[in-house]
Amino acid sequence: MKHHLILRVVTKMLIPSILLFALYVQFHGDFGPGGGFQAGVIFAAAFILYAIVFGLETARRVMPTWLLQSLIATGLILYAGVGFVGMFLGGNYLNYTVLTGHAHSGQHIGLLLIELGVGITVSTVMIAIYFSFASRTPRMGDEDW
Amino acid sequence: MEFILGHYNYWVVIFLMMAGLYVVVARGNLVKKIVGLNIFQVSVFLLYISMGKVAGGTAPILVDEPVVYSNPLPHVLILTAIVVGVATTALGLALVVRIRESYGTIEEDEIQVANAADDLLEENRP
Repeated sequence: MKHHLILRVVTKMLIPSILLFALYVQFHGDFGPGGGFQAGVIFAAAFILYAIVFGLETARRVMPTWLLQSLIATGLILYAGVGFVGMFLGGNYLNYTVLTGHAHSGQHIGLLLIELGVGITVSTVMIAIYFSFASRTPRMGDEDW
Repeated sequence: MEFILGHYNYWVVIFLMMAGLYVVVARGNLVKKIVGLNIFQVSVFLLYISMGKVAGGTAPILVDEPVVYSNPLPHVLILTAIVVGVATTALGLALVVRIRESYGTIEEDEIQVANAADDLLEENRP
């Protein structure tokens, strides 16, 4: 803990704020700038910051490979699943109105679920890209940087 | 003069586009080339988004009385283009990592020297 003490302490203070901001951007996509892709990238930035400061092995313990693979597929299935639920309830594919019966609430819930799927997939894909890059470079000792 | 000042977004687009193109062409480091490509992409995004602004327009959500709304189509297109740009950058950086592992350098002239030496070796093989 002696090396890069300031970096570690500040990172520990910053990461919850970054995650909270990512959730804020995710759920305010209807009313302002935001949505799935932007929120996913900010969410992944928190995990990548943790991986940079605390080491790749520690970050892999937080976010193991099987979890990354499952979450990438989960976001996609959520997106496609909302479309299919619309089809099973009588409308076309990705018809939001039939999800609750009323146009206003149906659109709201449909868009929220779709953006959630996009956010989950985008964040885990960015984390996976960073992990696959970072595992190829030679390991540097703690004193070297 | 108002013509030049009123269309300042196009001047910004032109400047960024030419800067990005210059970096791609004139720099030998592969990572700098990828950065120049990203600057070029940002200029194209700015072009479409600045052209798609409707003065006084609000979000295109259906309400009771008619309002002036901005066309969501350029914004959606550019969002897709941004995602494509991120994927392209990731692919380019993966290629650079592999080149680094294979050649030991990411400077373009050193890679060309190594390639020329390899070709000479191939030609002279009986």
